[in-house]
Amino acid sequence: MRARSTPGVVAGLALLLLLIWPALSGCQFAQSSFASTASSAGSAFSAAATTLTFLHQGRLSRRYAASSFVNFKAELAGLDRQLPTLNGAPGKATLRHLLVLYRPAMQAVNAPCLDMACDWQAQIDALNRASKAFLGAGGS
Amino acid sequence: MPEIREEVLKDDIFSIRDIIDSQLETSDGVRIGRVADIEIERHADGTLHLSALLVGPQALAARLSPELRTLAHWLFRDRFDHRITLDDVESFGPTLRLRRRAEDYPIGQSERWIAKYLLRWLPGSGY
Amino acid sequence: MKKWFSIALGIVTATGGFLDAGTIATAGESGAKFGLGLIWAVIIATAAIILLVEMVGRFTAVSKKPYAAAIRENFGFRFFLAPLICEIIAESLMLAAELGGVAIALSLLTGISWHYLFPVAALLVFAMAWRAPFDWIENGPAILGLVTLSFIAGIIALGGLPHDTLPTLWRPPVKSGDLADYLYLVAATLGSTISPYLLYFYSSGAHEEGWSGSSLLLNRVTAFLGMGFGSMGSIAIIVLGAIVLRPLNISGSTLGEVGLPMAKAFGVIGTTLFAVALFATCFGAALEVVLGVSYLIAQGFGWEWSENKKPVEAARFNLTLILFLLVAVLIGLRGTDPLQLALLASTVIALELPVALFPFLVLMNDPQYLGDKINGRWTNIAIIVILLLACIVALISLPLEILSGGG
Repeated sequence: MRARSTPGVVAGLALLLLLIWPALSGCQFAQSSFASTASSAGSAFSAAATTLTFLHQGRLSRRYAASSFVNFKAELAGLDRQLPTLNGAPGKATLRHLLVLYRPAMQAVNAPCLDMACDWQAQIDALNRASKAFLGAGGS
Repeated sequence: MPEIREEVLKDDIFSIRDIIDSQLETSDGVRIGRVADIEIERHADGTLHLSALLVGPQALAARLSPELRTLAHWLFRDRFDHRITLDDVESFGPTLRLRRRAEDYPIGQSERWIAKYLLRWLPGSGY
Repeated sequence: MKKWFSIALGIVTATGGFLDAGTIATAGESGAKFGLGLIWAVIIATAAIILLVEMVGRFTAVSKKPYAAAIRENFGFRFFLAPLICEIIAESLMLAAELGGVAIALSLLTGISWHYLFPVAALLVFAMAWRAPFDWIENGPAILGLVTLSFIAGIIALGGLPHDTLPTLWRPPVKSGDLADYLYLVAATLGSTISPYLLYFYSSGAHEEGWSGSSLLLNRVTAFLGMGFGSMGSIAIIVLGAIVLRPLNISGSTLGEVGLPMAKAFGVIGTTLFAVALFATCFGAALEVVLGVSYLIAQGFGWEWSENKKPVEAARFNLTLILFLLVAVLIGLRGTDPLQLALLASTVIALELPVALFPFLVLMNDPQYLGDKINGRWTNIAIIVILLLACIVALISLPLEILSGGG
């Protein structure tokens, strides 16, 4: 093992600077909890809408869609309870608007219309509306 | 019993550094472990002689710290630590070759125990 | 003639085996979130792994010692503990992520929830690691993994890159508040590609196949061409994400999403190709991870080890393998989404890269092991710079990412 030397000290200082830089600079390194969660939710709703659309366009198999929705469900469940508590949450009016759109969209995620028998177009619309709103709230 | 004097211990071939952590291989080509530590005695004429090789988790723990050595002793109760005397070593080198076969050494008994009591129940184990 | 066949097989194996859960996860999110803005990280990481794989092959071929054995013998037990402990933690996570990738692939093909398929994945990996000879393990999944080249066809089928996406290559669209996410993906990209488990695996493989000084050309060509081609699969996933996912605001945070561009390009066949590629690459990687870390432990402690021996002839080695699979299953049972788990595992690896690879660099410059085949100066500098970059970025981004609640 080599003995400590000046290059080591310089490297150590540089590293320290790099670590403190986020706090020193005015640059916003990370979004607030609310913004990041809302953005992720918006993306997930969009993914769900796209998956459902592709399924009914014959681009995906039913199995692929069913499998994907398991993951969307895991990502989006419980968001209505979680959102109001997060750091950076907006005012009551915005939250209410989001939750109103959340409900039908979440119903679609929980019970996606994978056959022709139900109104899948309505589900896609609900998912897209929710996606837009959540992405907007997340600052995208 | 081969004598190794301190000056020779400093030579490249027989330095302590080269013996410790070296691979141990039996006469039938089985790898049974690594040298964890060595035992040295000081003879009446002042020379140091390598007297034995030590293998096992307690010897390893002892190299790290005295506290760990005590803990290891409490855990393993000397069941897995073994001494190899030098007359058992056929040749020194990057790999230390031992004179006898694998089953003659208590070291690596865990290998046989695991094979016999755990692995054999799985199909295809070759037991 | 046989030599050319070996070289061809080596290239094919390295190409098909390049991707894994980590690289697919990072490429998927990178393309979806930042367009082409992380391709530079893939290129740097690929350059690093090419250099490292070539080095480790050269090391074992010339010195006839597997890497882990050399660390213990050269640095002593105490020093050996540092990479050992780091690797045990990092690779347990990585193994769980790879098994998760296999589970998701099976899920996409069968429609069954991946939670049930996770133990199935572990069982399949176990079956192959238990009985298959080394040759099959190294080549089998990787040849199937060549399916990833269909992603390039996918890009062509989608009409290539739209005009407005190209600038993201040199100006990544990092908005305020996205920086932590961006850095997290940089770290994960580096960690997922520059994987220490690969080095333990390759080194042991070179030993199992009896490489010698005459294998150096094979080694060099395999590393450069094979991994070079393989990285194109990774870049292809980024491009697909940039073309299809980003305009839809999909963030590629689950593996099923990453397959959507192939659905757009080729329909159901496209998704099947994606699922098969996911399966083959993650399965192969799972084998390499579990074997790599088992080789590290067995060689470090001087036990019998080899995939070409019967399990009872290398009992401790095989038991270690089983234990790691069990730990991975336990981690998987927590239910963390496999893509997110893969990102986390990759970042943890990036963090421990300097510890895992510092002994390697020292050994690569030791004439006692390598004679006149030691590293050149620029190779050393390149590797050191890349390792430090990975570690520093991981140090910055991991806490931020955890604090902000994860991507």
